[in-house]
Amino acid sequence: MKHFTKLTMAATLLLGTAGFATAEGHSVTLETGQEVNMVLLPKFLGILVFDQANEGAQEAHAELENPGELLFIGPTPENSTAGQIEIMTTAATQGQGAVMISNNAGDQIVPSALAAQEAGTRVVTWDSPIPSGEGEDVFIAQVDFGSIGVIMADMAFSILGGEGQMAVLSATPDASNQNAWIAAMQVALEDEKYANIELVDVVYGDDQAEVSYNRALALVDQYPDLGVIMSPTTVGIQAAAKAMQDEGLCEQVKVSGLGLPSEMLSYTLNGCAPEFALWDFRDLGYLTYFTAYGLASGQLTGDIGETFSAGRMGDYTIEEDPGRPGTKRILMGPFTVYTAENVEAAAN
Amino acid sequence: MLARISPQTLRILALLAVVLAVLLFFSTQVPNYLNGRLFNRISSSVAIMALIACGQTLVILTRNIDLSIGSIVGFVAFATGSLITNNPELGPVLLVSYSIILGACFGVVNGLLVAFLRIPSIIVTLATMALFRSSLVEYSDAKSITTGNLPEWLISFPNYKVLTFGTLQLRAGFLVAVLVVIAVHIALTHLRPARKLYAVGSNPEAAEMAGINTKLVVLSAFACAGALAGLAGFMFLARFGTITVVAGLGIELKSVAASVVGGVNIFGGSGTVIGALLGAILVDLIDMSLVRWALVSEFWREAVLGTLILLSVAADAILMRRLIALRVAREKTTKENAP
Amino acid sequence: MKDQPVLQLENISKHFGMTIALADMSITLHPGEVHAIVGENGAGKSTMIKVMTGIYQPSAGTILIGGKPQVISGPQAARDAGIAAIYQEPMVFPDLDVTENIFISDTSAGLLMRPAAQRRRAIELIERIGINLDPDRIASGLTLAEQQVVEIARALSQDVRILIMDEPTASLSAHEAAQLRKIAKTLAAQGVAVVYISHRLEEIFEIADRVTVIRDGAHISTKPIASVTADSMISEMVGREVGNYFAKAPGTVTDEVILQVQNLSLAGVFKDITFDLHKGEILCMAGLVGARRTDVALALFGVTPTATGEVTYKGKPARFRSPREAIDAGVAYVSEDRRKLGLAMPMSIRSNISLVTLDAFLSRFGLLNREKETAVAHSYRERLNIRTQDVDSEVGMLSGGNQQKVMLAKWLNMEPDLLIFDEPTRGIDIGAKAEVHDLIREFAAAGGAVLVISSDLPEVLALGDRILVMREGQQMGILDTSEATQERVMILATGQTALREAV
Repeated sequence: MKHFTKLTMAATLLLGTAGFATAEGHSVTLETGQEVNMVLLPKFLGILVFDQANEGAQEAHAELENPGELLFIGPTPENSTAGQIEIMTTAATQGQGAVMISNNAGDQIVPSALAAQEAGTRVVTWDSPIPSGEGEDVFIAQVDFGSIGVIMADMAFSILGGEGQMAVLSATPDASNQNAWIAAMQVALEDEKYANIELVDVVYGDDQAEVSYNRALALVDQYPDLGVIMSPTTVGIQAAAKAMQDEGLCEQVKVSGLGLPSEMLSYTLNGCAPEFALWDFRDLGYLTYFTAYGLASGQLTGDIGETFSAGRMGDYTIEEDPGRPGTKRILMGPFTVYTAENVEAAAN
Repeated sequence: MLARISPQTLRILALLAVVLAVLLFFSTQVPNYLNGRLFNRISSSVAIMALIACGQTLVILTRNIDLSIGSIVGFVAFATGSLITNNPELGPVLLVSYSIILGACFGVVNGLLVAFLRIPSIIVTLATMALFRSSLVEYSDAKSITTGNLPEWLISFPNYKVLTFGTLQLRAGFLVAVLVVIAVHIALTHLRPARKLYAVGSNPEAAEMAGINTKLVVLSAFACAGALAGLAGFMFLARFGTITVVAGLGIELKSVAASVVGGVNIFGGSGTVIGALLGAILVDLIDMSLVRWALVSEFWREAVLGTLILLSVAADAILMRRLIALRVAREKTTKENAP
Repeated sequence: MKDQPVLQLENISKHFGMTIALADMSITLHPGEVHAIVGENGAGKSTMIKVMTGIYQPSAGTILIGGKPQVISGPQAARDAGIAAIYQEPMVFPDLDVTENIFISDTSAGLLMRPAAQRRRAIELIERIGINLDPDRIASGLTLAEQQVVEIARALSQDVRILIMDEPTASLSAHEAAQLRKIAKTLAAQGVAVVYISHRLEEIFEIADRVTVIRDGAHISTKPIASVTADSMISEMVGREVGNYFAKAPGTVTDEVILQVQNLSLAGVFKDITFDLHKGEILCMAGLVGARRTDVALALFGVTPTATGEVTYKGKPARFRSPREAIDAGVAYVSEDRRKLGLAMPMSIRSNISLVTLDAFLSRFGLLNREKETAVAHSYRERLNIRTQDVDSEVGMLSGGNQQKVMLAKWLNMEPDLLIFDEPTRGIDIGAKAEVHDLIREFAAAGGAVLVISSDLPEVLALGDRILVMREGQQMGILDTSEATQERVMILATGQTALREAV
């Protein structure tokens, strides 16, 4: 095992050096073996994508030979906001080097995040940022929000054949990432190309299967000419697909959005959800870990323009977040669009 | 005439009237509203809540409350899903029994804590709500149950059309729920042990003096509620197919709302499960109609829903006070007329 | 009495910590007899019933049922043995109807109820009692008497062999009470052993076959009713020397009348109460449970504004419509029920004392002045000798006597002219009793007028300048302390001689 790790290490170092050589000569290669204790804090425990992010972070943890601890702790689902704030506060008092958080508490997390920074803990957000950016060192954006907008608009375009009605089934009304994506899609839809696509409604399923299911059916009842339900949440998209399948509506109304291949497989194959998109949460956890490790060990300053090598994923640069002026992000990109052709391979 | 009808029947009639009024109101507000589809939607959606509200009613009748019921539904749905995923050859009878027994076990935990440790049920079940949910998080290991792994018979069962009149369909899921509610109703009105449920909630001290084992009664109420929640968990799995750790979150309060709207006295002792079923239908109907009502934005819907629930409970209270006043007046006149 | 006894208590004792509630109590019940049990308040009647019905387990002694020793482990075991009890406050289920109430603990039949059959049996049982009652009525709408009938029917439905009736007529009208006595007779004729507990001696003479007198938890006598007289019963009930721990203090009565009450009545509760109360006087209201003394006090305090009659307070006609009006006029009422009506148990001593007079503790911005509160609380702690570490401790943690002092402090702080004190020393120990008595006398000596309601005869005799005796809502007479003895008060309280004296 140890040998294996060392081998991987060597490979990574090689790759890193290669990255260093090809980039403009500023790329930082992180030194391994620094002792930093870190916390990976998901929205809540028990959801597959967060576990995948944890796998990626654990991979990076081993790769960087950090003798410190990587803790994967999160609140229970019914206690998400308060739990996140509590864990953030505890992490600060424990003197953790960094907290990596997929924020589910909106700006309510700000006081505890600021206190953590005060105590010397780096706060790196991933998946879902702190809306105001306060108390946040940097946000690891899975994809460009702008590009999510275009991708969703394009999927709708292809499903509708360029013309028809679309409705959005989102998570909660105050989920900052979903709201940003929907806004981006509305911007994208202003383009000439989508002139015949009408966004008729945005409803919220609270990221719960039962609510989303009912909301999807209500949309169909309300808009008899609806052609596609776009759901930028993994819970919503499959609830909507199940609802359409149960009611025999798959011919009439298609479902699309952001989904997990393993969960969407059957709907994609039977045509209820012919196209959907997602990114790789393992990669997101991996990249987040590299960034947080670099910041907490003092090897990265976290300034805009700073470039570093993130192991197997190559070079990344800290830039200003165009969606939230004055804050910083690292853009992971790109998207994978899944169709009947590639979904089976990804699901297994 | 009025006095001939029992207060409970009157409550049910009043609820039916309110349901009709809501239907009429929204049919003027929402296009494509009154049709067979609406019935199909509400009936399929209320099937699960009806079972849960029914269980909640049993507990409330004993002057208790079960806030963990949503967590029980979620846990059972997940556990049943993973059982069938790993053993696809299991038949319906075994699977349903598993759900019900597992749910009853959770109920027994609640019941033991409330009845024998004498901790108020609101505290016990607030704790077990979090406890059961956390165990689910632990047990699930972040895996989801997905539709793809479930057998066809399970997924198609709730929507199996038993009878069809034009666009109006009577589906298996709703039928099961209604049959269960009727069975529980008959049990409550005709079974001797069930009467003790009302007695314990009506006057716990007197129940003790009357030689009723109040602890056992409370324990049984929680166990039955758990069993019904277990059955609801099975239906939940069949209907939604995809089960994550958030399954059933928030159901506990909706079930309390449905019961109370359905005329179940929150302080125990009176109420019917038929009322709870109608309460569930009313809450669901208002909720679904509000989604389609352009006038109310997403952000206000919860507030409007809450207001409407409050209104119907207030209407119920006023109705009952009137009724008692009428009774007293009637009794006075009969007494005065008597020689 | 020719039969085998159905129930025998043999040398039963019951202790609660240091308190002895029953000492070596023996009693024998025969089928078909009405057996009356009499005794003063606190003589141990309730404890004895609770032992018979399995609520308490005796500390020592044997219970024999049908001649065999048996342990009555709980209410259910008592039911199984055929023992049932009905109380002054009936135990019914308000949400259920009459039939359902009767058959609530019926375990004889199977799992399934047969409502029609039950209803028929309910009618039969009610007929057996000899009463008219609709079996479909919801219990919450029944009168107390009807609720008692439901309870009796419930007992009958389970083949009761021993029916204990604890003060069943105390809250009933005369007509209802007569009906209930008839029921007791009827049941006895049907072979049931009826234990009848009552303060109404004439009732006992009417229906009892035998009568047992108990006092201070001990058995005094059991005799056939023919061989006792009211006088002999009363002297056995009182029987003790007036304790010398209640020293009689000289009165401080002045001539100035502060309260004048004439023909105060409340329909169905009390009638024609007439007395006056002087500055510096302590007037005690004596009587047995159910004498309605508290109701008179509550009427004076404005709780029941529907009372009729003339009340003159400080020379002006006074008709308080709410406690607030009474308080504003300088009347304080210290409740007998500290827990329910008197103190906020989880709150601190400090905030309990300031509760009635909160306005006096407000600072300029409408905020509570806590320093002042604390200072006042401290002064009362000193004055009334409230034993506590500090005035911020919870009232619920104090002893009964100290709680009573906090209550008193709360009302004294409003500087009342008239203090109505309901059962001032119930449930507190002797030492604290003496202290409370001193405080009451002090208050009177300082020019206050006091109306004390007490069921404790020695206390009444020691404290009162005059004693007003009530019985079932009737004023039986006013005795001057010089002419009052325990016997005389008891004769009035039990209604043996309607000794009406001019006021």
